[in-house]
Amino acid sequence: MYEKTQGEYIIVVDKINKTFPNGVRALRDFSIKVRKREVLVVIGPSGSGKSTFLRCLNGLEEIDSGSIVIDGIPLDQRKENRLEIRKEVGMVFQSFNLFPHLTVLENVNLAQMLVRKKSKKEATETSMELLHKVGIPEKARTFPNHLSGGQQQRVAIARALAMKPKVMLFDEATSALDPEMIGEVLEVMKSLAKEGMTMVVVSHEMGFAREVSDRVVFMEDGAIVEEGTAEQVFGNPKQERTRLFLSQIL
Amino acid sequence: MKENTYTSSAKMTPFRKPSPVVDIGLFLLVVAGLSVLMFRGTKTLGYNWQWYQIPRYILSLEQGKLVAGPLIKGLMVTFQITGVSLVLSFCFGLLTAIMRLSASFAARGIARVYLELVRNTPLLVQLFFIYFVLGPIMGIGRFTCAVLALSLFEGAYASEIFRAGIVSIHFGQWEAAHSLGLSKLQTYRYIILPQAIRRILPALTSQAVSLIKDSALVSTIAVYDLTMRGQEIVAETYLAFEVWFTVAAIYLAVTVTLSVIINMMESKLKVVS
Ligand SMILES: Nc1ncnc2c1ncn2[C@@H]1O[C@H](COP(=O)(O)OP(=O)(O)OP(=O)(O)O)[C@@H](O)[C@H]1O
Ligand SMILES: [Mg+2]
Repeated sequence: MYEKTQGEYIIVVDKINKTFPNGVRALRDFSIKVRKREVLVVIGPSGSGKSTFLRCLNGLEEIDSGSIVIDGIPLDQRKENRLEIRKEVGMVFQSFNLFPHLTVLENVNLAQMLVRKKSKKEATETSMELLHKVGIPEKARTFPNHLSGGQQQRVAIARALAMKPKVMLFDEATSALDPEMIGEVLEVMKSLAKEGMTMVVVSHEMGFAREVSDRVVFMEDGAIVEEGTAEQVFGNPKQERTRLFLSQIL
Repeated sequence: MKENTYTSSAKMTPFRKPSPVVDIGLFLLVVAGLSVLMFRGTKTLGYNWQWYQIPRYILSLEQGKLVAGPLIKGLMVTFQITGVSLVLSFCFGLLTAIMRLSASFAARGIARVYLELVRNTPLLVQLFFIYFVLGPIMGIGRFTCAVLALSLFEGAYASEIFRAGIVSIHFGQWEAAHSLGLSKLQTYRYIILPQAIRRILPALTSQAVSLIKDSALVSTIAVYDLTMRGQEIVAETYLAFEVWFTVAAIYLAVTVTLSVIINMMESKLKVVS
């Protein structure tokens, strides 16, 4: 645990604000720091800004003010910085977003070849390793729409991991899945956490949070209301709003 | 699972299919009716059909060798013009579509001006403008003028098709590509366009068919395409009916063949939804 409580910060978010063109203020002076190898779980009601926060971390949304630094690289207007951060930060979406015209293997290979400039052979080696890891090497030549939701999400995780990212973001990765498939995806995420991947996970899966998270953050209206270990936040929340929210999702 | 072919419209009506006998009978009746009308019409005109004259304008036998007649030579020119214009018009169309979707104000503006200019003036006027005004200024020949006019014109319409195809792709595809570090160009090239083109293939096919038909206009600037050859033969022989029937049939054969080929390609591509 030494590393996780003392290690250096890999994500430093300082007072970011984000207002959408329609006037919705999704993040208000939002600050957070995440250490290397830490697993951070973000919970909060719908519309509280969880997705917006994740999407700001890899430049999918532009922030209006404040600063984001990832692994020492500031996410500013410089193109090379933005690209570097996109390479170092992997993201897994609720709706998988696999490329339907490419096979599973090609999905996992693509960015390795285009962005990391690997040869097809090298990329395939890495991809097959990762597909083994997520438990579906036999589906390499299949197209995504022939897979179950759980399998698709595992491919999406493998695809993100293929870039060898330093940080992985999960935005409600299991919310679109049938109940019987949630477990298999959570297993993959847990093993990743245990290997020491730095993870920011938006999820209301308490079992996952209790088992592998180092910290749970409860946010509402674009700001952090409460944070602590899973035991603290779930078992003995200090804030009334946290209590109310937890009673609603349980 | 073909949604864009002519047959699908029949499926959309909730009525039962008529029996094939009645169906074919009706078809033959219509054809027969039209033939009778035609026959009586030409009879009253006293037109003297000379179909036997036509084959030598298509193919002729000279010293034991088959030689292409003027109509086939014209068809080859039509092929050259439409082939080059097709490629160019898809390039213009794709480029314009991407410019219209770009974040740059200048790019969107240029695309907009091009589209408005082309869509709000007649193709014939564009052709004349390019041939009689730009041609002499820039020193380009009539073949190049013909290709330029056709591809600029069809490109404007192709761009609408490309644009519709591109925006039909779910934004999640862009976001996934973004988070993997792909550049915008790579995302278009490897993610968006391969999916979009599959969806717009039927529309692009009708665009190609329009291009073949519209190419007949280049005969007005004396490019010796199929139509121009037809005019030439009619002027020589006065066989207006036979020649124009033949020319129309050749265009029809080409466009139908094209549609069939692309339909076949399409069903192969459909393996992946
Ligand atoms: N592209 C957008 N344009 C306008 N408003 C947006 C946009 N994206 C999000 N919002 C608004 O910003 C607020 C925060 O949204 P966000 O998606 O971050 O919430 P969330 O916590 O992820 O919610 P959920 O649990 O429903 O996913 C919401 O009020 C939402 O309506
Ligand atoms: Mg969300």
